[in-house]
Amino acid sequence: MPVSRRGFLSGRVLPFSGALVASRGMEAGESGAMQDRAGRANVPPGIPEIRINSNENPLGPGKTVLEAIVGKFPEAGRYPFNSTPNDGALVSALSSKYRIKSENVVLGGGSQEILKSAVRAFTSPSRGLVTGAPTFENCVGTAKKLGHPITEVKVDSAFRLDLDSMIAASKGAGLIFFNNPNNPTATVHGARSVLDFVARVRQISPDTVILIDEAYHDYVTDSSYESALPLALDTPNLFVTRTFSKAYGLAGMRIGYAIGRAETLTPLEKLRTPYGLSVFGIAAAITALHDPKHIAAERARNTSVRAYTLQALMDLGCKTADSQANFVWVDVGKPAKEFRDACAKEGIIVGRDFPPFEKTHVRISIGTQDEMRKAVAVFRRVLRPVSTTTTGSRMEASWH
Amino acid sequence: MALTRRRFVQAAGLGAAGTIATDWIGARGREHALWSLVSPTLQASERDLIVLSSNENPVGPGLRVLNAMRTALGEGGRSAGRYSPSARDLVDAIARKQGVKPENVVLGCGSTQILRSATHLFTATDKPLVGTIPTYEECAGYAEMMGRPVRAVPLDASCKIDLDKLAEASQGAGLVFYCNPNNPTATYVGARATRDYFERVNRTSPTTTILVDEAYFDYVTDADHETHIPVAVDNPRVIVARTFSKAYGMAGLRLGYAIGHKDTIKKMADWDGGTGTGSLNVLAIHAAIAAIQQDASVIAAERARNQAVRDFTMNWFTTRGMKPADSQANFMFVQLGRPAKEFRDACRKRGVAVARDFPPFEKTHCRLSFGTLDEMKRAVSVFGDVLAKRSTAA
Repeated sequence: MPVSRRGFLSGRVLPFSGALVASRGMEAGESGAMQDRAGRANVPPGIPEIRINSNENPLGPGKTVLEAIVGKFPEAGRYPFNSTPNDGALVSALSSKYRIKSENVVLGGGSQEILKSAVRAFTSPSRGLVTGAPTFENCVGTAKKLGHPITEVKVDSAFRLDLDSMIAASKGAGLIFFNNPNNPTATVHGARSVLDFVARVRQISPDTVILIDEAYHDYVTDSSYESALPLALDTPNLFVTRTFSKAYGLAGMRIGYAIGRAETLTPLEKLRTPYGLSVFGIAAAITALHDPKHIAAERARNTSVRAYTLQALMDLGCKTADSQANFVWVDVGKPAKEFRDACAKEGIIVGRDFPPFEKTHVRISIGTQDEMRKAVAVFRRVLRPVSTTTTGSRMEASWH
Repeated sequence: MALTRRRFVQAAGLGAAGTIATDWIGARGREHALWSLVSPTLQASERDLIVLSSNENPVGPGLRVLNAMRTALGEGGRSAGRYSPSARDLVDAIARKQGVKPENVVLGCGSTQILRSATHLFTATDKPLVGTIPTYEECAGYAEMMGRPVRAVPLDASCKIDLDKLAEASQGAGLVFYCNPNNPTATYVGARATRDYFERVNRTSPTTTILVDEAYFDYVTDADHETHIPVAVDNPRVIVARTFSKAYGMAGLRLGYAIGHKDTIKKMADWDGGTGTGSLNVLAIHAAIAAIQQDASVIAAERARNQAVRDFTMNWFTTRGMKPADSQANFMFVQLGRPAKEFRDACRKRGVAVARDFPPFEKTHCRLSFGTLDEMKRAVSVFGDVLAKRSTAA
């Protein structure tokens, strides 16, 4: 457009910093409006907001990734298949990372697109979905829309997916959703349990497709855990999903993928929205794959802040499940909504309700160390109102 | 990464020396200097390749939109790591712009998602998809994949939609894909004739839904020209699809939308849409909010720019005895008297990419998108060379 172009080159355009300042106000206004409409708890005006409700990486992507995104700005008008690199290049980058063939990879607009396609492809009115309770709700939501049967298996007393009961429910099922680590409980199953689970499901219900969602893979520190990727490449009717939305810090860019045997993935490839990944998401993901040190650093950062957060919650008398992710699952001894609303009044946004534990448990994502210090101070006030605190704990509050 | 880095350097216009500091986020001054060097003209996927194959806007979305994208990355780029809560704000902005209510709007990951949803919801094994042949292939491709029947209706002699034949074929159809202007032929059916067609189908086949794809609406210069959005809002059997990929210059961002009756839109949103953490990326959402709030003169300027290039290119072919179909879009369909593949391969060797095959015209016709005037001047010189050689298939 000639007008903009002239503006661009003659410097009539706002200086970069100016644009940033001007828009920050606008964004704040937008997010305020959103909360009202989405029915989320309101943060009073003027109180800075700390978002620890969506299991995001609070630091976002690294510099090289941001450079890659901005470097693609001149190609905003090009379809992804006309851009370099294109989505095929992302498939290639993933293939070489995992030393697999491109036919073993399917991309998605976030792993949510793959989860949705899996339910559409593999369940039917006579072949239902088997899933945990609580677990990530995406598959259940899709199955409900389709009216396909759903079996939700409650987690065990340690808040781990109850694999024995899920196996028992799997006979004749279309799809099993196995979130490992499990969102929202943050617990993980080790490699041996996963292997045993897959073998037993294959034995009693070989046509059932198993989806192991490893969205939080990069945050696991438990040494008994291993990715099911190698298993997925060897086993029919099994695939693994991964995402760039968590440790990679690219939730806003919407990129996930599935890995498995080609014949397992074919229905997902067919249902995928053609050229659904943006030029920017593709470039960001490829660049991120070339920076494994960034992920290692993010895992270390998360492990440290997670330990701090778990300790602080235990000090407040809360029981927590073992966390192998970038969030924690906490018994706050009161309804999640009550806790959430009280925290929101002080600017701290925590996770939604997760039935059947919405009367007692809350999911809290791990922000930065600084954010968690501020959040813990608020949790302390919410869980131990000042009237009942001792002088000692007030002093403790001031240290944080 | 080497590749991406090179692209960044190239985009910034600094050559291959690689003198850019990596920490552009921190260094405002330097960053601004860099930023102001970015030309808004689109880069081709290969150096010097002229891309005339995908009906893109060759100048991109413009500075205001690019600035909105930069802002959407947030402080230190951290917003790239957040799920965007702003899709609903985009719905509101579109509703305001089009004079409808938010309940009349559903977003899609490109209009591709809209086309797929409509095909999924409104066709069935006994309710075929009806469309012209050729037309944009997405609906037919999806219908075939899902095992839904497809009825293809030939165009008339001037490569326009044959409304009588289409109305006849629409009887009992689940969905009619009505692409206007039609891709790949670029021809346009006037507003009155289109409304008459709707009425005829509504009357004779009341359960048939018509999906009007107005992807190229902003490029139409015909006097009998109006959007069918007002019809769609009131008529549950008419849906209008729009995209940010064409005149708005945002094909790389992936955003489209449908406007229709609230019940129809709800059906589409329930199946595949809504404003949650779906497939829409944060840059696309903020780019689209900025784009749709721009003054109407921005799109008018793009329409005028395209028209000048269209006149130049159509004239070049017409004066050489190859009269293209009347174009009301940012591309044209022309009979070259040789297979599209042969022409395409020869042009590609000379640095110009033209479009894919469009059966049943793949042996004779080619679709050419309009680049910038400068690109088209270079392209016609390539076309001249290629067409001067006798076709090997003739």
